[in-house]
Amino acid sequence: MANDCEMSSMKIKKTILIFAALLLTSSGAYAAKMVMPTDAPASYEAECASCHMAYPPALLSEQSWKNVMSGLSKHFGTDASVDAKTQIEITNWLVKNATTRQKYIETAPENRITKTSWFIRKHDEVKPNVWKRASIKSPANCGACHIDATKGIFSESKIKIPVK
Amino acid sequence: MLLKFITTFLLMGFTLSVFAITPQDLLKSYEAQSSKASPSRGEQFFNAKHGKEWSCSSCHENPPNHDTKHIVTGKVIKPLAPSANSARFTDEAKVDKWFKRNCNDVLDRDCTAQEKAEVLSWLMTVK
Repeated sequence: MANDCEMSSMKIKKTILIFAALLLTSSGAYAAKMVMPTDAPASYEAECASCHMAYPPALLSEQSWKNVMSGLSKHFGTDASVDAKTQIEITNWLVKNATTRQKYIETAPENRITKTSWFIRKHDEVKPNVWKRASIKSPANCGACHIDATKGIFSESKIKIPVK
Repeated sequence: MLLKFITTFLLMGFTLSVFAITPQDLLKSYEAQSSKASPSRGEQFFNAKHGKEWSCSSCHENPPNHDTKHIVTGKVIKPLAPSANSARFTDEAKVDKWFKRNCNDVLDRDCTAQEKAEVLSWLMTVK
């Protein structure tokens, strides 16, 4: 009888462990969605990341990326036009990897990541003068503070706000 | 098999050399469409604003012989002068693309062959 009891308590422990492991892996996969996919076309780096960070596609929704990519000749005050073939290639890849998470799925106002309600909420403690520091320049410069931004890591523990 | 490899490599080398171009080649082709370039006018053009908010030097700085930062995003831009970055002005499609984009940003129009010749002739003198 005592043996049976031990067995069942072991079973329970085992079940808890399995659940914990499942939770961990699923939350890992969840966070990984922000991570830069490894299959980015070379054109993404060449055409987009020459002027700004190669934003992980999961920062915007499918519709937002379509909106961005259909207006490249007037892209936030600059001409970022690409040829038709490249435009399709990049758009398809962005759309395929766009966010599907409810939290991030809103259509970005003015197509700006930095105007989404989640971005504003996440940065509400950053004072206006901080954004203006020479080494930051703009809220679009994720990597100025998020030291692993290019890998798509934006966690609180990976933030270092430069003083100048 | 070895012969096949050698042929492939030779063909690859040939293909690369067909697409590769030098800054000198490009300068000659712009001058052929306009006239002899003046490097000093190129420098003035590079530093000046042309009716819009930015000049070439807003992002590339003068002299453009070191890593610089995009004026808005802060993204690092590699040196523009061929002396500091040997990849510059060696890919005609890339050169055409960036002249188109950046001339629209700085001048709100395409650059003329003369303007391209002058800027390039000056960039080729930057140490």
